[in-house]
Amino acid sequence: MNAIEFKYITKRFGDLTANYNVSFAVRKNSVHCLIGENGAGKSTLMKILFGIYKPDSGIIKINNVEKSFDSPLDAIKSNIGMLHQHFMLIEDFTILENVILGSEVTIKYKIDFEWSEKTLNNFNDKYNLGLNLEQKISEISISEQQKVEILKLLYRNSEILIFDEPTAVLSPVEVKEFYKIIEKFKDEGKTIILITHKLHEVKEIADRVTVLRRGEVVYETEKENLDINILSRKIVGDVILKNDISKETVMINQEDSVIKLSNITLRKNGHDILNKLNLSLHNGEIYGVCGVEGNGQSELVDLIFGLEKKFSGYLEKNTNKISLVPDDRLKKGMIKEFTIGENLILKDKNKLNITKKYLTGLTDEVINNFDVRVPENSVIMKLLSGGNQQKVIFAREIELNNDVLIFSHPTRGVDINATAFIHSKIIEQRNAGKAVLLISSDLDELLSLSDKFGVIYKGTLVKEFSSELENIQNETMKNKLLEKIGKLMIGISVE
Amino acid sequence: MNIIVSILSLTFFAQVLRLFTPYFLGANAANFSERAGVINIAIEGFMITSALGYALFTYLTNNIFLGFVCAILVNLLFSLLYALFVIKLKINQIVAGVGFNLLMAGLAKFLIVFIFQSSSNTPRIPDLPNIPYIQDIPYVGEVLSDYIILFSFALIFISNFVLFKTKFGLRLRSAGENPEAGESLGIKIRLYKLYGVLICGFLSALGGIWLASNQNSFSDGMVAGRGYIALAAMIIGKWKPVNILFACIMFAFFEALEITFQISGTFIPSQIIQMLPYLITILVLIGFIGKTKPPASDGIPY
Repeated sequence: MNAIEFKYITKRFGDLTANYNVSFAVRKNSVHCLIGENGAGKSTLMKILFGIYKPDSGIIKINNVEKSFDSPLDAIKSNIGMLHQHFMLIEDFTILENVILGSEVTIKYKIDFEWSEKTLNNFNDKYNLGLNLEQKISEISISEQQKVEILKLLYRNSEILIFDEPTAVLSPVEVKEFYKIIEKFKDEGKTIILITHKLHEVKEIADRVTVLRRGEVVYETEKENLDINILSRKIVGDVILKNDISKETVMINQEDSVIKLSNITLRKNGHDILNKLNLSLHNGEIYGVCGVEGNGQSELVDLIFGLEKKFSGYLEKNTNKISLVPDDRLKKGMIKEFTIGENLILKDKNKLNITKKYLTGLTDEVINNFDVRVPENSVIMKLLSGGNQQKVIFAREIELNNDVLIFSHPTRGVDINATAFIHSKIIEQRNAGKAVLLISSDLDELLSLSDKFGVIYKGTLVKEFSSELENIQNETMKNKLLEKIGKLMIGISVE
Repeated sequence: MNIIVSILSLTFFAQVLRLFTPYFLGANAANFSERAGVINIAIEGFMITSALGYALFTYLTNNIFLGFVCAILVNLLFSLLYALFVIKLKINQIVAGVGFNLLMAGLAKFLIVFIFQSSSNTPRIPDLPNIPYIQDIPYVGEVLSDYIILFSFALIFISNFVLFKTKFGLRLRSAGENPEAGESLGIKIRLYKLYGVLICGFLSALGGIWLASNQNSFSDGMVAGRGYIALAAMIIGKWKPVNILFACIMFAFFEALEITFQISGTFIPSQIIQMLPYLITILVLIGFIGKTKPPASDGIPY
């Protein structure tokens, strides 16, 4: 029995064909993964299913009945729920208000808060969400916000659940938690569509996989025949992955650190966000920091970059030339309404005479060197996909030719191809003798790039690894190391 | 000494109450609109049209009730027009608001000259009737037996209830905070924005009607910036009805104080007193009430 059937769906936006002749079926009570690069048309297809867009042609069947949704409301009525990539939450509302919005239960005119609270707390307990309904969205973490989105789906009795890149913002521990929730959904007979970039997660959880490329279905397979190598080839098509750059030995003098933090403590609102933290960055070395989000990573970055000045301890900076690729590229890394060229010169303090010709030249150069894919040279940043935006930010920060580079979650929400490219650029910088600080929640990324590696927990680097990273090719050694790191991240000490 | 006596008097209290009413109606009007994400700085203009509408139609029909209803209808019509501009056509809300203010002030002037051949005011019109029984209460009866004043008391609770306890209010606020989120849950965002603008038109109409009724005519310039002070009160009140109440009381108190000082002629120049509410507004905005944060999507066309 199929829960959903797409038949010959085509959707165009102007000249761009987002979906072409897409046909596939999703079995009831299964986890169906939809994968593909950024811009492959996954989100568009899901938005069609959810009634946000109308297809130009083709039909959708829900439980073998043809349906045409004019708005999300119609989809919600057919028990379809969607967890959007960018959360659809209202910062100034409480969790409760966010969840009931649009499907409020009232007594006369008044919202029945008591009933709503009881109902939501039931879900809260059943799925172990651990949410405090009275808190505002602005006060909770990203992973909690995602749980609020899940609560929204539960409250609306969704039987078909669409998740658009749900794990992109989660740390490894949180990802595990999230998949437990998904398993529970499946146990209850729900149908799940999951859009993701992370292939090893696909292997773990999918019952069936559909690959989209340039708006078309190029590959489908069952769980039994799932092969990650085939999948990644199908995703990128004929493009050769550019991860062939390798680390070169860089002569470094261990004594000379570029940046050294000794015993740094940072207090905010009565909490030690950073707690007696020690860290030193050296030339020609990538230092990776991993940890569950909110353990002081962003404060550490701010402190080194110079945005955070109220701390105790000793901070030794032998340079002020620091580049930063921030964690939230939309808010901190760029100006959305500016063109690529305008974003590129944001940090250029010396150039006074900025002509259109200069900007065009600069943009062309970056587009070529950094493989940025754009419809036209003068496009504003907002209209680029996440991976391409990130490449532009990378280009700007690298061209500054600074001594220290900080990369915070550099490949979050970025597709395979762009990720490989970004990784190669990071290694290139290291090989050129720069000191690199890499903060990420993607352990594979950290392990494959870092020369040294620290686990941050409650504002302290609880353990540092370096020689262990050399044996990373060995599966068993790697798994052992991963297990260790996983424990350290949630505060369990290891020998 | 004299001044303290007059401040503590019932006359002073009644004065504060009378000054308070149009501020509070205007501020709540603006708040409903802004909570739905539509900035409406044309509160001033809306008060002018309703004040004139009330005076004009009461004079023409010789019926207070009809004048009242027509004034509200006039404002709802203008609100629809404003909504057409800013919600449907997505014109910049500040520009549209300034346009409305100028248009309405000019239109009012034109109409009183055209209809009454007077450059300053309409002929005299009667008061709104007092509420029976309440007006017989000694001392406070006179000021409290005013329907609109009593309604503005009720508005404190109505505003709070509607905005924070009802389905309607939750959806209205979602339009002002994050329309995409509301839309994704099937809420007709633009409809709620329209509701916000219409409620704004209705409440500011009450403010204008009250001014005209209290003065027994419409005269050019009678709204005298009250619409703008209402906006300031809304901002100081952080878009929350209860805080707006206190902000309006503050403005009314200092204005009453100014009048009292002027009458009793103290050594303090009245201009200084006149400055007080604004000075205090600035001080308050600097830090006494913490950060004021408008609805996240306030003023952004959707």
